[in-house]
Amino acid sequence: MRGNHALLFIKTNATLIALVVLTVALAVADPTFHSARNLSNVARQVTIVGIIGVGMTMVILIAGIDLSVGSVVGVAAVVVTLLMQYGLAAWLAVPITLVIVGGLIGVWNGFWIAHYRIPPFIITLGMLTIGRGVALSLSSGSSIPVADPSFAALGSAYIPPVPTLAILAIAAAVGGYRLFKSRRLGRKAGAPPLFEKSLPSVIAGAAGLLLAAYVFGTGDGLPVPVAIFVVIAAVAIFVLGHTRFGRRLYALGGNEEAARLSGINIYATKMIVYVTVSLLSALSGILLASRLNGASPNLGTMFELDAIAAVVIGGTSLAGGSGTIGGTIIGALIIGVLNNGMSLLGVSSFYQLIIKGLIISLAVWFDVLQKKNWAG
Amino acid sequence: MSETVLKMEHIVKEFPGVRALDDVNFEARAGEVLALMGENGAGKSTLMKVLGGVWPYPSYQGDIFIKGERRRFRSPREAMDAGIAIIHQELNLIAELTVAENIFLDRQPANGLGAIDWRKLNTDAEALLGELGISDIKPTDRVKHIAVGKQQTVEIAKALSRRASILVLDEPTSALTDREVSELFRVIRGLRQAGVCMCYISHKMEEIAAIADRVVVLRDGRTIGDAVAISDITLDQIIARMVGRELTEMYPESARQRGAKILDVRNLGVDHPSLSGESKIKNASFSAYRGEILGLCGLMGAGRTTLVSAIFGAYPQATHGEVFVDGKEVNIRSPADAIACGIALLTEDRKALGLFLGQPITFNTTISSLQTVSSPPIGIIDAARERAVSEQYAAQLNIRAASVDAAVGTLSGGNQQKVLFARWLNASPKIFILDEPTRGIDIGAKVEIHRLLNHLAEQGVAIVIISSELEELLGLSDRILVMNEGRIVSEFSRETATRKAIMEWATGARRATE
Repeated sequence: MRGNHALLFIKTNATLIALVVLTVALAVADPTFHSARNLSNVARQVTIVGIIGVGMTMVILIAGIDLSVGSVVGVAAVVVTLLMQYGLAAWLAVPITLVIVGGLIGVWNGFWIAHYRIPPFIITLGMLTIGRGVALSLSSGSSIPVADPSFAALGSAYIPPVPTLAILAIAAAVGGYRLFKSRRLGRKAGAPPLFEKSLPSVIAGAAGLLLAAYVFGTGDGLPVPVAIFVVIAAVAIFVLGHTRFGRRLYALGGNEEAARLSGINIYATKMIVYVTVSLLSALSGILLASRLNGASPNLGTMFELDAIAAVVIGGTSLAGGSGTIGGTIIGALIIGVLNNGMSLLGVSSFYQLIIKGLIISLAVWFDVLQKKNWAG
Repeated sequence: MSETVLKMEHIVKEFPGVRALDDVNFEARAGEVLALMGENGAGKSTLMKVLGGVWPYPSYQGDIFIKGERRRFRSPREAMDAGIAIIHQELNLIAELTVAENIFLDRQPANGLGAIDWRKLNTDAEALLGELGISDIKPTDRVKHIAVGKQQTVEIAKALSRRASILVLDEPTSALTDREVSELFRVIRGLRQAGVCMCYISHKMEEIAAIADRVVVLRDGRTIGDAVAISDITLDQIIARMVGRELTEMYPESARQRGAKILDVRNLGVDHPSLSGESKIKNASFSAYRGEILGLCGLMGAGRTTLVSAIFGAYPQATHGEVFVDGKEVNIRSPADAIACGIALLTEDRKALGLFLGQPITFNTTISSLQTVSSPPIGIIDAARERAVSEQYAAQLNIRAASVDAAVGTLSGGNQQKVLFARWLNASPKIFILDEPTRGIDIGAKVEIHRLLNHLAEQGVAIVIISSELEELLGLSDRILVMNEGRIVSEFSRETATRKAIMEWATGARRATE
């Protein structure tokens, strides 16, 4: 019985454990890995895929897929830099790009998928090619530089250490209060003690906060893109877990016909999801262009694979209906840490590809195994 | 006397937190139909899964003897090879393949080159169907084009092609019409003659009386008494063994009063999805009243489900006609519109069209009425309120589960159905349409549902119920509408309704003079 508990614990928290093991191993293997500066870099790299991953989680949750996200990154980067070349201020160029690129592509994808029930795989594969073509033709195939400091700030600025630590302290307080409340609630309802059930996430949350304090509370502080990612992820976690809209996604992915007959507006729900993922991808493209002080039309190539990998490694089922944003964040962290670690250790980029592919396969296999367990 | 071919001794099977089987003992003989009866959750299906290797050795305790020899099946394959065939409630046929391909799936006869020998495949299949006395389906028919009743016989043929000596039929008639049932019984009798041992799982008493030789009852994972010859036991005694108590009336009395007209359907038509110019429903007009139970009767394919689904907004493109709720015309373009008008539809196929199996009871209870457990602006769900609502229904409807956090996929059929009831009750409908609400659930749960429907009607809800069991409609309804080939062909009041008259209209033996 004890063995069973341990096994269950490992199973339900496999990705988290994998992340911890990976991090500790790299920290031992290479001392530069756990320097605050390097970890801050990892965090920044993770945000680009992480932001797309949040949208991708929602798409995969409704048993869909969006292969066009990488191209959206490219188009958005090109469009935002072009707009600024034409003399538009950054504060105008950014929202216009979001609406035109993210909004339009999202509506296009969503329309075909929701209205004509075209398989999302096909329509977004088409958009992958179209988008890349648009990025290349708008930029005539060459890079576009930007020299606007206010735009560059979006991707490169920091929130200084002191306010960062204050924010972290507030986050810890809110987390502690929620835990306290849910415990009381659980006890009143006679439910099994929530504390025990959520122990791994409590420990992970506390460890995460401490680590964040170490990484961002020293040196330059918290990079703005990381802050944006954290806010987006927090909103998404709340929406998926605690709102009607979130419920609709799980219902739609679990059983579309039953969801329709339960009174869920399938059309609107799908539309919102595909627009959201496109908007988030466009935001990623803008952040990337800002960080690089310019755009190349090939930005974002293959990002769809990293985003899907993060979602799948994070335990979201490709069949739809089950998964979490928290899992995707862990998945994105695993990919980010792996990329960074392998580069530090001097693993050739050829081998990096092989290793990443193997890890994705492993994650899907794990998902299938878990499905089997309760299918009977 | 015929030999004992199957013996199960002291079978115990545990799931986390539940002992599904708790010392089950029984034996079955060659050339007999042994009825296995019990309420939902009594352990019948689990027992058959142990027998069929779905729960492999050693995930259970106890012994299985086939023809006196102890066997331990580690996979469904091993059980199959030992001559055990299980025909599940949900058929395992591949709709796109032909009858013959399904029968010999993965064992197709091949010629010297390893290619499939189609001629032999089809003649072998024909021979098997012939053995079963089936002449009206061809080996080359695609399974999707033949009726459910015939699909069942294809499953049986498939089992026989493996030379199965023990055949388990798990609620084989739940989707069949009366005629298909008698056809199936003819096949079963033929197999009995041929010495096949059959375990027959069913809830339907009339069927047991008609087909079984002996009956064994399961309750709470235990066999209650020994198997008894059907001639030595009364139906009341069987029921008493199943429920462990005397059953009160099947159709409880109700003192309800018919109220105002609430639903008025005029000239509703539904176009055929693939054949242009054809209709699945033609000019259907009827009304439903508050405080009334309206029965909708017809044979399989008469259009009952299509009619109610169309009213519920399931086929907005194909539906035309007028629907009035409370005297006002409504334009229902989706199930969401219908729910907003106070209409609820409990769908026929709870797994495919109703439940979210991986989600907990709470999720499934509130999904159609999330506004009742969330705050308006952005719809934040109040988890404590949701839990309280779900627990209240679980108690009211007697839903058996470890807690409301249990995934509905882990519940028994009757309990799953009750969760669907909870979902629609929480939407507080004015018009509650139920499509086969008691199919495949045990007698105890059935009576509970009947009582609940009466109670709802007394509170002024208009109930529209579809059932393939005529007895149930006659027992419950204040009025009965009969459908035939997409039309409403006649209407009966409680006083004028008789089994015979209804069947005459439903089968098309009587038609209105044009």
